[in-house]
Amino acid sequence: MYLPDFDYYAPDSLSEACETLDRFGAKAKVLSGGTDIISKMKGGLLSPEVLISLKKLEDLKKIEYVSGKGVVIGARATHNDLVNSKILNDKYLSVSEAAHHMASNQIRNIGTVGGNLCNAVPSADLPPILIALGATVKLVGSNGERTMLLEDLFTGPMQTVIAHNEILTEIVIPEQSLTGSTYIKFGLRRSGALAVVGIAVAVTVSQGTIIEAKIAIGAAAPTPMRAREAEEHLRGNMISDELIEEAGLIASKESKPISDIRGSADYRRDLVRVFTRRALHKAINEGHV
Amino acid sequence: MSENYSVIGKSVPKIDGREKATGAAKYTGDLKFPNMLFGKILGSPHAHAKILSIDTSEAEKLPGVKAVITHKDVPTLKYGISPARWDENIFCSDKVRFVGDKVAAVACIDEETCYKALKLIKVEYEVLPAVLDPLHAMDEGAPQVHDEYPRNINTEIHQNFGDVEKAFAEAYYVRTDYFVGQRTYQSPIEPHSAVSIWKDNKLTIYSSTQSPHYFQHYIAREFGLKMGDVRIIKTYVGGGFGGKLEPTGLEFAGAVLSRLTGRPVKTFYDRHEMFAHNRGRHREYMEMTTGVDKEGKILGVYANFVMDGGAYTSLGIASAYYAGALLTLTYEFENYKWDLHRVYTNLPACGAQRGHGAPQPKYAYESHLDNIAKELGIDPLEIRLRNARRPNTVTANEFIINSCELTACLEKAGEISGWREKKGNLPKGRGIGIATGSFVSGAGYPIYRTDLPQAAAMIKVHEDGSAATLYTGATDIGQGSDTILCQMAAEGMGYRYENMKIIAADTETTPHDFGAYASRQTLMSGTAVKRAGEEIKKQILDMASTMMNLPPDDLECREGIIFSISRPNATPITFEEAARRFFVLRGPLIGRGVYVVPRLGGTYKGAAVGTSPAYSYCAQITEVQIDEETGEIDVREIWDVHDCGKVINPMLLHGQVHGALYMGMGESIWEQVLFDDKGKILNPHLGEYRLPTALDMPIIHSELVESFEPAGPWGAKEVGEGATNPTMGCFSNAIFDAMGVRVNSLPLTYEKVWRAMKEKREGITKD
Amino acid sequence: MAQVITDQQGIKHYMITINVNGDDYTRVVKANTVLVNVLRDELDLTGTKKGCELGNCGSCTILLEGKPVDSCMILAIEADGRSITTIEGIADSAELDKVQESFINNGAIQCGYCTPGMILSAKALLTRNPHPNEHEVREAIAGNLCRCTGYVNIVKAVLKVAEEPNDKGVISNE
Repeated sequence: MYLPDFDYYAPDSLSEACETLDRFGAKAKVLSGGTDIISKMKGGLLSPEVLISLKKLEDLKKIEYVSGKGVVIGARATHNDLVNSKILNDKYLSVSEAAHHMASNQIRNIGTVGGNLCNAVPSADLPPILIALGATVKLVGSNGERTMLLEDLFTGPMQTVIAHNEILTEIVIPEQSLTGSTYIKFGLRRSGALAVVGIAVAVTVSQGTIIEAKIAIGAAAPTPMRAREAEEHLRGNMISDELIEEAGLIASKESKPISDIRGSADYRRDLVRVFTRRALHKAINEGHV
Repeated sequence: MSENYSVIGKSVPKIDGREKATGAAKYTGDLKFPNMLFGKILGSPHAHAKILSIDTSEAEKLPGVKAVITHKDVPTLKYGISPARWDENIFCSDKVRFVGDKVAAVACIDEETCYKALKLIKVEYEVLPAVLDPLHAMDEGAPQVHDEYPRNINTEIHQNFGDVEKAFAEAYYVRTDYFVGQRTYQSPIEPHSAVSIWKDNKLTIYSSTQSPHYFQHYIAREFGLKMGDVRIIKTYVGGGFGGKLEPTGLEFAGAVLSRLTGRPVKTFYDRHEMFAHNRGRHREYMEMTTGVDKEGKILGVYANFVMDGGAYTSLGIASAYYAGALLTLTYEFENYKWDLHRVYTNLPACGAQRGHGAPQPKYAYESHLDNIAKELGIDPLEIRLRNARRPNTVTANEFIINSCELTACLEKAGEISGWREKKGNLPKGRGIGIATGSFVSGAGYPIYRTDLPQAAAMIKVHEDGSAATLYTGATDIGQGSDTILCQMAAEGMGYRYENMKIIAADTETTPHDFGAYASRQTLMSGTAVKRAGEEIKKQILDMASTMMNLPPDDLECREGIIFSISRPNATPITFEEAARRFFVLRGPLIGRGVYVVPRLGGTYKGAAVGTSPAYSYCAQITEVQIDEETGEIDVREIWDVHDCGKVINPMLLHGQVHGALYMGMGESIWEQVLFDDKGKILNPHLGEYRLPTALDMPIIHSELVESFEPAGPWGAKEVGEGATNPTMGCFSNAIFDAMGVRVNSLPLTYEKVWRAMKEKREGITKD
Repeated sequence: MAQVITDQQGIKHYMITINVNGDDYTRVVKANTVLVNVLRDELDLTGTKKGCELGNCGSCTILLEGKPVDSCMILAIEADGRSITTIEGIADSAELDKVQESFINNGAIQCGYCTPGMILSAKALLTRNPHPNEHEVREAIAGNLCRCTGYVNIVKAVLKVAEEPNDKGVISNE
């Protein structure tokens, strides 16, 4: 296989990266880990004239806890950085575990969370758990920066609101008092498989009552989506098997899966029901897993 | 275990282990030659289209492009690995028959230029309606893939033995089931590759091949060259599994590009091009009908098949014969009738894939047999014991079975798996299934009609006896034939494995052998090697007798020491001493051996296919856990018990079982080549053509039963393909046991299990 | 920043330096040059294989600062200034590395095409965790596809090394 020719720049700073992006506009793509871009270029799906590499921007690799703000994940952190991060293991093990589901060890050592989010594949493993945890993303361009909820980033399969001259620099999981969260992926083999469905939940439980619940579904709609009706059904109610089963059924009805080579729509819909229920039980009973 | 061998039967480390573990082993794609060019083939984007024009002018102008060729530049002689069906051309001239069919090729100074050059070749097509559904390929008015084959019938088989109608009439219970198998692809990890060097009148090709001989034969024929002027060399091969047995466009086009440019040309396939080239397993539609008596004894069988052959024959005729012919191996019944149509479609051509034609019919038959067992209230292990073939029997279609320890395999499998305790007593969602398998140890007749022996071998002992070189055409593609043949040579000579060297699979230096397919080499190449070794030993003992003043038949040689059998106190001499003396007095010490298959098989049409000097047997049991809500299949444990005769190298043997079983597993649950409605492959890559990973594997127990095959060297038979044979049926039966649902098509995906359970709950289908 | 030269067709060429198996190599590459090709074609280190070129099979696995990566998915220029270990660099002398020995002695090699990548993934695991359990071994090699062995003897070979007491065999890492 081969890659088409392109120009390559490796700016020394974020501002230089933004300037370079401005210069080339739609002709350029940002290169982070590169696994998605190189894959698409080899497959003839992408042919950018310019690649702007973020390889020199060391700051974007950090994973830190900032008191009052939350856990800040640099866009260039690789999936294995998330798997191995002590901060995430302590505070949100569910994020480390979700990152662990992605592709294979070798790809996890290259592919970055920023690149993964920007690629906006509906079946990606990180968006659901990050969305359930209320994550925000920061987009930086030469005319300023903006922050938004991750769930507002995606507009369709492989489509985001990111402008041509913007770079996604960090993801923030805000301070919050959750009692549990988890992500369950259903794939067709145990490694190197895209999710047929992926369900993430985050809950706050107190004295047998669900104070707050967030449910995010992957691979069962054009973008990762919140199951808001199912969440509403849970909010403020006493935990019971029936309640959770009902939530699964409602989430299933909210989902909008298609049929493709990995699964039929009706299969996926039923999987949403099953895994929403299982994820809720896990998050309620086991904490952040 | 009454025999006490010095070399065979031991798990000696592979002779090429170090080369492979250090990255030093050079596969064809690793080779570099001075002044070498790179070549690639342009494939058709359409499943069926007339070629109106080809304009290569832009491509020729691109800097770095040294040659561009189309059908005008190559021989138009039709070829194919099956002599009864020469239906392929190097390049298509009038029309293309599948997405990826060969249209042109380029030779350039580097790989990147090749891809760019291919893009510049302008081909004008007139798209034609395509045949994509094998079940409609024979319809009146269907598009014709090849004009010479009306109704797209590539192969039609009707065989009839005994009286099936009578058997059904007299049966206690007659049942018919339908099953569908899927298209799978061997997908060896090493892509196909060739380096062609055509200088003066000599054509040398290094290739990732399973058979230098068949390559040499067909390439010489295509170019009108003498075989002696064509040299095929196999370096290291990264797996073949049946897909590298026939020359491809890489060799044919590469040879022409080399002749035109006067330079070595390396041609290769990318992974998606491998999928398009294919020659993998056929999709089969299978109807099985069996009549049994009250005890479940099989009285008669009728089978009807439709096979999707794709656009060309490849090895498909043999696949077609094997599909029906091999069904008689494991169970004894006198009355057998089967019909088969192998049809052309505008899809990649199908050929021989590990197990060659037999695994899918076995999936169908084993599932069918379990359905019958359930109906009669007989345990699945029990019904198989009642029908298991015995040694020294002849099948309804006249295959002679010598050794056969199937009953012992079944008993042992039942014992080590805890079948009798578990069946009917497993927790919810867990199931246990059983199936039997069998395979040929080499085909009784070669692929094209010839009186050449199956295998020949030579051994040359070094002048001072400190090493011996085995020359064999046998082809090590990873299964370890180099290693076990050296073991056999050493055993035959009374020498040491550690001193063996091997030169293999080079048509210029090694003697004829048909290569690695149909699991032939241990038995066939091995017999030739054994004979060569014994010829050396005879000469050594003759020489030693003059040195020790003892009659030759009082002498024996073992692990390089020559001693007197009757006088244990007589001073022994070494093989080295005798060998050196031999060379000084008589010149080179050479041993030669040849293996010819005895004439096998009946006289009916197609009787030759399925014959073999010996057949392996096995029983497999698997335990699965089904997630009742999602249909996810967790394969927990597999027990495989094999009868493969004398074991030459236990470690390599079990490795073959592991690998064959692994492929069977992959095809049972995960693998399928999928197409869009225009005949283009949707998943020609290893992300969506799912091979099981290390995390997907169950606990595997590979065991053996004692067995001796008189037709095999030291009693050996095959093992490389037998373990793929039962696996799909075994899984189907385990799922049936777990959930009471029968999935009638492969692969047995989680979704199909989910859907079958759903339909059962909703009362849509029975069992 | 790597030095850049523009040729007559306007294509840029970059000078990079990569450390491979302990030695620095300076080469000129294009932006679209993939790392696996530099190793195989420029440096003649053909032990690293190409199986799928899309990061699915792992036969191109190398260690990039001790971490297993698919070298078919990395641009050569992105590896500028970094250190790489290939299968040729596993053993630091003529003697074989423990993992290599174990593969040979435990039937973990059949056709051998996945072997270099497999050994590197195993090596990286054992460096990080000298005594992994079976699940951890399977996880570590889940990105390396093998068509021949069913992974049975490969897992066995790695576990055999894992059972041994701590020794050398640690790669220069992060």
